[in-house]
Amino acid sequence: MTIKILPEALAAQIAAGEVIERPASVVKELIENAIDAGASEIRVEMRDGGKRLLRVSDNGSGIPSGEVELAFSHHATSKLNSVDDLFRITTLGFRGEALPSIAAVSQLAMLTRSADEPAGVELRLHGGRVTQREAHAAPRGTVITVENLFYNVPARLKFMKSSGSESGHINELVSRYALAYPAIRFSLTSESRLVFQSPGSGSMADVLVAVYGADTARQMVEVSAERSDAGEPGGQGRATAAVYGYLSNPALNRANRAHMVFFVNGRLVQDRSLTFSVVEAYHTLLQVGRFPLCVLKVSVPADEVDVNVHPSKAEVKFRHPGFVPIPALSLPDGADRQGEAPRLSFGQLGLEVQRTAAPLSPPDADDRLHGREWLYPPADSAPESGTSRPDVPPDERDAPLPILRVLGQVARTYIIAEGPEGIFLIDQHAAHERILYEKFRRERQALGASAQSLLEPLAVDLTPRQAVRLADRMAVFTEVGFQIEPFGGATYLLRAVPSIMAGSDPRQSFLTILDELAEEDEGRRVEHGGVIVADLTADGTESTADPLRQRREAMLIASVCKQAAIKAGRVLSLPEMQELIGQLEQSQSPRTCPHGRPTMVKLGLDQLAREFGRR
Amino acid sequence: MKVSCLQENLHKGLGLVARAVASRSTLPVLNNILIATDQGRLKLAATDLTIGITTWIGAQIEEEGATTVPSKLLGEFVNSLPPEKIDMQLNVRTQTLNLKCSRFESNIKGMDAQEFPPIPTAGPENKLKLDPDTLRAIISQVAFAAAADESRPVLTGVLAKFDDGKITLAAADGFRLSVRTGTVSEGKAGVTAIIIPARALIELSRMIGDEEEPIEVTITKNRNQAVFHTSSTELVTQLVEGNYPDVLSLVPKSHNTRTVVGTVDFVKAVKLASFFARDASNIIRMTIEPGTDLAPGRMIVRAESQEVGDQVGEIDATVDGPAIEVAFNAKYLSEMLAVVDAAQVAIETNAPEKPGVFKMVGSDEFVHVIMPMHVNR
Repeated sequence: MTIKILPEALAAQIAAGEVIERPASVVKELIENAIDAGASEIRVEMRDGGKRLLRVSDNGSGIPSGEVELAFSHHATSKLNSVDDLFRITTLGFRGEALPSIAAVSQLAMLTRSADEPAGVELRLHGGRVTQREAHAAPRGTVITVENLFYNVPARLKFMKSSGSESGHINELVSRYALAYPAIRFSLTSESRLVFQSPGSGSMADVLVAVYGADTARQMVEVSAERSDAGEPGGQGRATAAVYGYLSNPALNRANRAHMVFFVNGRLVQDRSLTFSVVEAYHTLLQVGRFPLCVLKVSVPADEVDVNVHPSKAEVKFRHPGFVPIPALSLPDGADRQGEAPRLSFGQLGLEVQRTAAPLSPPDADDRLHGREWLYPPADSAPESGTSRPDVPPDERDAPLPILRVLGQVARTYIIAEGPEGIFLIDQHAAHERILYEKFRRERQALGASAQSLLEPLAVDLTPRQAVRLADRMAVFTEVGFQIEPFGGATYLLRAVPSIMAGSDPRQSFLTILDELAEEDEGRRVEHGGVIVADLTADGTESTADPLRQRREAMLIASVCKQAAIKAGRVLSLPEMQELIGQLEQSQSPRTCPHGRPTMVKLGLDQLAREFGRR
Repeated sequence: MKVSCLQENLHKGLGLVARAVASRSTLPVLNNILIATDQGRLKLAATDLTIGITTWIGAQIEEEGATTVPSKLLGEFVNSLPPEKIDMQLNVRTQTLNLKCSRFESNIKGMDAQEFPPIPTAGPENKLKLDPDTLRAIISQVAFAAAADESRPVLTGVLAKFDDGKITLAAADGFRLSVRTGTVSEGKAGVTAIIIPARALIELSRMIGDEEEPIEVTITKNRNQAVFHTSSTELVTQLVEGNYPDVLSLVPKSHNTRTVVGTVDFVKAVKLASFFARDASNIIRMTIEPGTDLAPGRMIVRAESQEVGDQVGEIDATVDGPAIEVAFNAKYLSEMLAVVDAAQVAIETNAPEKPGVFKMVGSDEFVHVIMPMHVNR
């Protein structure tokens, strides 16, 4: 084997492979170029999922005719001048890799005219080599047409997914950029049919309607937060970090994280710590395995974030992990129950994100749909025109409960109740857990956690693992109302328990809680790979605003309430059941228990009618 | 079997024994009441295998025999009959009990008396006698403090200690302790301490409701049973096995502050506060302030709830010692006060995190200890 320098064409293909994986990557690079060029309108066209043709047109600054060829050589960019600039990147692109990479693996044509030139240039390239160049009449801006992507890279071609799947990716990408840049009019055409268009009105709410439809958009709530350096040494009260966007009402959720969209300084990123933080913010409001929808734009000073982590720029690194506002735990205490949404408090920043606006109100959204402003087909017609965005009808998980009439109990575990639209089966244990949990949290906030001392301290022997778990959380245990003292070796003395637990065997409950917390730890590690946990613990563990600690406290309270709640298998009298349901109706989130399991199953009248063949 | 008795007597007897009928038993015969002729009287008995109640009623016996019939049906049926003579006749082959009363006649299907578990009766062991009023008072002042939760079986029982002509009952559920001492009228127990299920004592207390004769107690240590015998009724209970924690040593020996308040005032204040405590972990705070030369001592009873509101009550108190604030569970306070049988209650405290001791003024037979609550702010 001899070592040799790769031919230029091959090297270009390899480099392209890092950036250009699939048609959607081309679209991403070209859209980012268009945004950097200051376009106010970006049109994307595709054929055959972008495999046959992709065209991105913008009305941005265009490229002066003298620099057109230069744009296609490697490391050619207008966006960066020195190494220092690399660490305060304000444009989306900077590597000077996108155009040559795309050109290397496709047949590309670029038509561009800069504002101060009378005529534009059309340049054609095959596999990265210029085949044609001529002066051409053109509107201001740039039109790049990419045909037969990967025609010269059979290996890539083989791994391309079906046209439907690729067009789904492109659709998703375009709509996400439309959300992040509401002031830019985006449109997406597939096989000559318009599948998506954003109004370019500058309002993210309008884009949400276009992307998700009015029903879903209505359940999203605007949030914003800012961090200023006023409280820091040398600060001048300038904003140093800001978050703006929309979060879904807990009732609106999906089975995966695909609808959690984050932009950091205008760049679409996938960041696990951000995803994790938002999921945490919904803690206990969502069932396990359900995820919220969100679109959050994070702005931080350019030197606080390194985007040059990966060629595709989908990942970023924060210089100070704690710098980005991490949404902390949020039970919507006192939030009005109509369209209730989590209020995020950005714990590490000491910031509170307030709801800056009511949820999109139905008349508003409807007006826009049918009103004059909208010059393009309403977004609701989008699904019919072939987009791959199935709009799951929002379930009602967090809507207030209707008044229920208790009918009886099944299997000493479920309460049957009648509501206006059907019958409800309610898990008595889960429902009581929810009631106690909210009561405990309210009391804890208002008056502090109340503890009941034990007549005689109970000696509890812990396994080494249990002891470690307890040591980790001793402060939280104490805060919730436990009074525990080490008594030498593996023995601990239980002197007081939260008063809510006074009805059950303190020793057994205590041990059960410790074991349950183990499951929590392990579940976390599996899901988040332990990385984020470390990130979170690294910073300010002992402050009360610490999200990990808050989370631990919430988990502990949930476990305590689980112990205190009436168990399945207990016979309840009618008044007892009525009381329970009455309290559940008052709960903020009556439909899930604090561990995220459902408290009730609804059997709708429609369904009954169907089952009985009445319709 | 062929017997006649008065509706009144049968109704009363059935009411007594029905308390021992198993409510949900896998053994069908335990849902029944045993009816048998016994030495010129009619014996009624029921058991759930933990306790058994047997009573004897006067009856005219023409033919000996025994059977068991469903308790609920027989009880409700007899209850509704007119107060006249009831004639009962058993068809042994079909185990059907024929009842005639006035112009009503019915047949109730029963089960063979052979299937009914034998209920032990008192043997020739040591007997001791207790005054029924004393026994009732002791039970009512102690049994409620036993644990309802089955996780520590010993604590669902009541400790009974016998010592030199005295009986001491104690019960604790982990958060409070109730102790009451009484005098044994006559006899010896032959044992020093037993654990009686609280439920058996409560049934016993109900059973001896209007009894005037002394109650005879027999403890058969080897069978681990206790038998309580009144003139016409007998209650047998299994004793709880195990060692009762040494709760008597948990009663604080000394105190810093002793506060004496009127029971009626205290009950009122706790009751009013408990409405507000319901939504706040049941916490009632008591602020005790000693009197000065100008003003008498007082105790302020307080409850506050974030949601409902708050309430403050003030009662006069004779305070001996420094001021103190201590918090207790409203439930424990009101349950304790419900059994206090004196005009004044003494509260002995040491510190907010130390147990509170409640006594009846003028009697040292009753001691109640309640563990305080505290709030982590």
